Amino acid sequence: MSKSLKRNLVAYGLVLPAFLVVMLTVAYPIVLAVIQSFQDSKTGAFTLDNYAYFFTEPAQLKNILYTLYVCLMTVAIAIVVAYLLALYLRFVRSRIAKTIGTLYLVPRFVPAMCAVYAMITIIRDSGLINRIGLIFGHDVKLGLMYHASGMIMMNLWFNIPFAALMITAGLGAIPDSIIEGARDVGAGKFKVFTSMILPLSIKDVVVAATFVFMSNVGSFTTPYLMGGSAPKMLGIALFDQFNKYLAYNRSAALSVIMFLICSVSAGVYIYTNLKENEWEK
Amino acid sequence: MSERKIKLQIKDMTKKYDNGDGVEHINLDIYEGEIVTFLGPSGCGKTTILRTIGGFLDVTSGDITVDGQSIISLPPEKRPTAMVFQSYNLWPHMTIYENLAFGLKLRKIPKAEIDADVKKYLQLVSMPGCEKKYPGQLSGGQQQRIAIARSLMLKPSLLLLDEPFSALDAKIRQQMREELKKIQQDLGITVIFVTHDQEEAMSLSHRIVVMNKGKFEQTGTPAEIYDKPATLHVASFIGEMNFLKKDGKTIAVRPEDLTVSQGHGGGQFDATVRTIMLLGHYVVMTAQHGEDVIKCYINRDLSERLKEGDPVSLAVGKHTVF
Ligand SMILES: Nc1ncnc2c1ncn2[C@@H]1O[C@H](COP(=O)(O)OP(=O)(O)OP(=O)(O)O)[C@@H](O)[C@H]1O
Ligand SMILES: [Mg+2]
Repeated sequence: MSKSLKRNLVAYGLVLPAFLVVMLTVAYPIVLAVIQSFQDSKTGAFTLDNYAYFFTEPAQLKNILYTLYVCLMTVAIAIVVAYLLALYLRFVRSRIAKTIGTLYLVPRFVPAMCAVYAMITIIRDSGLINRIGLIFGHDVKLGLMYHASGMIMMNLWFNIPFAALMITAGLGAIPDSIIEGARDVGAGKFKVFTSMILPLSIKDVVVAATFVFMSNVGSFTTPYLMGGSAPKMLGIALFDQFNKYLAYNRSAALSVIMFLICSVSAGVYIYTNLKENEWEK
Repeated sequence: MSERKIKLQIKDMTKKYDNGDGVEHINLDIYEGEIVTFLGPSGCGKTTILRTIGGFLDVTSGDITVDGQSIISLPPEKRPTAMVFQSYNLWPHMTIYENLAFGLKLRKIPKAEIDADVKKYLQLVSMPGCEKKYPGQLSGGQQQRIAIARSLMLKPSLLLLDEPFSALDAKIRQQMREELKKIQQDLGITVIFVTHDQEEAMSLSHRIVVMNKGKFEQTGTPAEIYDKPATLHVASFIGEMNFLKKDGKTIAVRPEDLTVSQGHGGGQFDATVRTIMLLGHYVVMTAQHGEDVIKCYINRDLSERLKEGDPVSLAVGKHTVF
């Protein structure tokens, strides 16, 4: 046996177990779901009705748009806030900055259910804020419950620390010397940001954004506890199709739709990660 | 040279890091059009002083003025200085062209002029045609030359150079020294140059500041520093120096200021030949005097008459007593 053949066999042997696990647990169910999504629930014949349902039924179409709205708002706000926080943590040297730097991840350690319930007891119309308001004679009704803004607020709680973690790592890799060089030739703070910091950290920002987006498309706990009855997030809509209406073929179609929405974001992620910057070659 | 204008003034400046390292009580006047070199061993505080002038470190106390105006409260981008950093500090995501053009663009210089300048300065640092490359694709020495070009192109009235030639080979180093001197004269800029290479300091500077452990030991022209070292440290740091002990004092004398004769009794010191080494047109001889080993230069003629173990006597010419 030739040496290179031997080496190849060893290499295949090493990846085989992982490959099999992935095939069995991920690829196989996906393939099955895709097939199912094109089948009529009664006859099993090929049909596009399962998909058409979600794009023609006004309530269902609303759910898709609603989910996109909540996810995109969450991404936009979480990334902007996380970027500002990461900039603060990277460039401000103070006790407060150091303390925030240690504490900002704490929300990630609170179990999701506990966090959602905690938030609900504060913001609901008879919650903590309302009661404090009553003491001062105001009946504060925030109207956040069963509303997109309440959910977005909750998503931010989970996603800002996560995005900040990723962006902070990226900013940490920019040495002071680069900034000193720029200021030396006369660049003010704004110019340093647009010419040095932003181009050197944009990759991490995009990656963080794709992760935040993907994790919210299929989210369930928050919309289940805080969301309204219509429109619904897709995670809840899927739950309904599967558990309430037992519409397995439609469930499969909706799963594929959610998967496709995520894969746009996954595509962005893979593209940014694979695209080597000119200067890194 | 009587009424020279003071460009930079450092007044009783102290900069202490949190751990207590740093420089203290620094006083220095630098005149317009001067090249002043900070010379000293590693860790003596050369970079620290340069960074306080450039605006990258706050001073603990004291003041720094340029053209009579205090600059210590100005951020780096508002100071009339440009710095070549010890670590080059090129911008990795920009091409060489963009690196060189960045500062000029900020100054709203027309593109045609920038293009011409980039070309000219790349030629000057012997790196023509590398506009499209990225810093990561250049060697250390090449990056260093780009960093030098980047600062020179800004034509700052005060140029700060932190060991700018450290990564260059001997030939390019020599070439760059000459270029620097020429540009400095053409533009009439003031230059502060940091090095721990005494030969470089000697050949380049109008004045040298010898530093040790965060303090200035001596400031003077290269000739003053070489001929009349103020302290033992300066004497030992600059050039070759013998230290001879006599009557509780130390006599510092350079090898070329010792006259060697055969046999004992002909000079102030009697010694024994230890080694003789031919170095081309002259000969280096070391001689043992008590505990000390003394280095002298002798001519070929005398070296042929001497061998190891022979008695010699040494007459001291120009010297300094500490
Ligand atoms: N950021 C810092 N924090 C604490 N101490 C520092 C810092 N930078 C430098 N020092 C200390 O200050 C002293 C002077 O350092 P500096 O960098 O000015 O030396 P230098 O003369 O430039 O040396 P070299 O020739 O090696 O570049 C050193 O003892 C160093 O350890
Ligand atoms: Mg240094």
